[in-house]
Amino acid sequence: MQREKYSIHVREISLNIVQNSIDSVRKKDILKTGYRVYNKGNIGVVGAIGSPAGQAGEDKLWEKAGEALSLQVPYPCDVTRNKKEQMYFDCVLSSDEDLVHETEIILSDLKETQPGFSFSNKINRTRRLVELKNDAGLDLSHECTHLDFSLLVKDNGSSNILDLFTGYEGREYDREAFLGMTNSTCEAWRNRIDITDGKYPVVFFTSEMSYRTKLLESLHGMLYGSGSSLLSGKLGEKLFSDNFTVYQSRNPEDTVSLPFFDAEGTIPPDYRYSLIEKGVLKSPFTDKKTARKYDLPLTGAAAGEYDSVPDIGYRSIIVKPSAKTMKELLDGQGAIFAFIPMGDDFTPDGHFATPVHLAFWFDGEKLTGRLPELNLSSHLYDMFGKDFIGVSGDYFFPLGIDRTISMRMQVSKKE
Amino acid sequence: MVRFPEHLYTDMRIEDVAETKIQYTLGILDEVKQKNYKAAFIRIFDGKRWYYSATTELENLQGEIDALAAMATANTGILQEPVVRKLETNIDDCLRFEGDRDISRISIQSKTELLNGYSGIISGREYVELWRSLYIDQRVTKTFLSSKGAKLTYDYQKAEVRVSMHLSAGDKKFKERFDAGGNLYSDLEGKKQGIEEKYRKAVSFLLNAEEIEAGDYTVILSPEAAGVFAHESFGHKSEADFMLGDETMKREWQIGKEVGTKILSIVDDGEKTGVGYVPYDDEGSKSRETYLIKDGVLDGRLHSAATSVDLNEELTGNARALNFEFEPIVRMTTTYIRGGEKTFDELVGEVKDGILVETIQHGSGLSTFTIAPSLAYRIRNGKVAGPVKISVITGDVFKTLGEIDGLSDKVELLSFVSSGCGKMEQYPLPVGFGGPWVRVRMLHVQ
Repeated sequence: MQREKYSIHVREISLNIVQNSIDSVRKKDILKTGYRVYNKGNIGVVGAIGSPAGQAGEDKLWEKAGEALSLQVPYPCDVTRNKKEQMYFDCVLSSDEDLVHETEIILSDLKETQPGFSFSNKINRTRRLVELKNDAGLDLSHECTHLDFSLLVKDNGSSNILDLFTGYEGREYDREAFLGMTNSTCEAWRNRIDITDGKYPVVFFTSEMSYRTKLLESLHGMLYGSGSSLLSGKLGEKLFSDNFTVYQSRNPEDTVSLPFFDAEGTIPPDYRYSLIEKGVLKSPFTDKKTARKYDLPLTGAAAGEYDSVPDIGYRSIIVKPSAKTMKELLDGQGAIFAFIPMGDDFTPDGHFATPVHLAFWFDGEKLTGRLPELNLSSHLYDMFGKDFIGVSGDYFFPLGIDRTISMRMQVSKKE
Repeated sequence: MVRFPEHLYTDMRIEDVAETKIQYTLGILDEVKQKNYKAAFIRIFDGKRWYYSATTELENLQGEIDALAAMATANTGILQEPVVRKLETNIDDCLRFEGDRDISRISIQSKTELLNGYSGIISGREYVELWRSLYIDQRVTKTFLSSKGAKLTYDYQKAEVRVSMHLSAGDKKFKERFDAGGNLYSDLEGKKQGIEEKYRKAVSFLLNAEEIEAGDYTVILSPEAAGVFAHESFGHKSEADFMLGDETMKREWQIGKEVGTKILSIVDDGEKTGVGYVPYDDEGSKSRETYLIKDGVLDGRLHSAATSVDLNEELTGNARALNFEFEPIVRMTTTYIRGGEKTFDELVGEVKDGILVETIQHGSGLSTFTIAPSLAYRIRNGKVAGPVKISVITGDVFKTLGEIDGLSDKVELLSFVSSGCGKMEQYPLPVGFGGPWVRVRMLHVQ
């Protein structure tokens, strides 16, 4: 019998901003722990929220996890063994007072420099400690504190719920850089421009989900292995552009706060696993059960809540950045920046469509003007194939880790 | 017993939670989880700012209250603050899910057998490459206390089953799901026929669905699609926190403004049974039926205490928190379109060329709303014809409300299993939605 403990401890301060002022301060300090017991191909899991009442409390939880084995939930895989690694990341604005004070300064500044807009939503500082330890020599720990500036912006003359947004997620902070980014976005908003329908380079934030939901679904190991994926049976085939490489990543260079290990303790070399290389399908993403069931490589994509049996899930799928800036990739052309796409979807065979609530004209470095509401359309194989332009080597905002990705798409104005 | 600090408003919400989750994938049991926990969310208001704490250390509630109070500024006039005056002081025990109705009393074996029975309908069926079945339930008993004297105990319960299937025929792929949900275990029983029917429709779609030419069409939305449309296109706009301090929005959204056709009424009601049932909101306000649109005219909004003061309107019981880790914000409960006078056959029979949307993947909306259909069909000459593949259907919200020209006479209320409404960080909140079959003269189809 083996025992394994998976714990997530979150300490957070969250400032709720309403109309340019701090309306509330929320503090949270919550520990969640999953107690896993493995025996004869089954797993028993019990969760606890808060600290158990001493050793006796913890012993009782182990006992309950052992009893949960009687539910006979299969887990025909070995635990991860003999691995010890820790990572620790801190961030600036580490005191609550500093965060509140800095927030008041930037809100006051924006009130003055952008009187035509109001700013709302959240500014958070979150410390998350994730640990996975077992009695087979596994001892993994990831502690990360990061900032999340997420402000919804409304034009005071507008009756929309929201008009644009500003913000980032990261561990660094620079007041001038944040205000500079916000001010230039607001400036671009004020400059209305028009385009005609046609095919254009379209740019998204790399973190944006809309353009990649079908890709993620198609790379899902369970769907791939069962034959339900558009990519099923196509391992080794060249399906996409030569400069389209995709990896699953928990590398700290690619994510802000994701632990470097998955929910089963799998850690690929360099914390990355290649799924598509230069357009050739190499592997779907998998957890241990999926890899075993379908005889696929184990990529380290186990996820789940603290008290769940680990299951397959994706957290961070990265398209490899190029060595060029987006300006260089666009080669002198402008592009449509899909700033707020909303309501996207793909048909079962891969046709993509999305309205774009807010789009800007983008010169490769700066947003220069606001476009009308648009509709975009493409196909999975085109957007990452013949129409794929690339991922920028530079970041859109120097304090975050969001790059930009571009592909050509059919664009029409919303009627 | 805790001691509330002087010269501050304090309220406290203690949640006693029991949850079950059971999941099968391709006949293999993935997960059987039962959990129970108690936790609390504390709010303190000094007239200028709110201070919140989420805690699981229930033996130290006084310590948490005192720590929050130390951050606030004592205000001898706190009881005269408009928001504090607005907060209700209800005293009630409102427990609807005890005894035979208490889902936590049903054994895990019974729940597993129920799910297993439904799984068997899909297992090994032609074209089904991957299937998953899921059972979820949750029972929450909330205790709400405030320094104004509110003292409430009320409960909430939901039970949900989902059977999802991925089908494949060569290069053709399709996915669909069957959902059933409600407040009681009995709401999940007797669903075999529904699952079988969904499977047959999914197969027909997989084998026969054709591409559709993008363009503008008359569209008939099912109760599921219409309910999501109402929720996304109008429900969120009715959440009054989006209007706080916003004079432009207040002017644009004046009560009495004509916003849709005369046959259209949209209601939010926390008293309706289903997963959107909320007897009291998380500020202790009693829920009530609120007309958002009545006969095509803007009739009301959804409020918390702060928004009702800002807009000088009455409370509606819509301040809800996702769970003990979050503060209440304005959310919907059960939001639906009221029924009309036509039968389903009449609605379809009057359409020469159009689309019928039966199920959806998801929906969203700002000034433009979108629905991503799953099962959708062409209508030709008044009859439902073959299945069609559609990425998204979009429309301008207000234009669409004015293009509704037919409603069927029966209303169906639904919920999404294991998902719900998202608003900023608080996702997924259980909400009910629905309506009749709704005909819209023109929507853009891609």
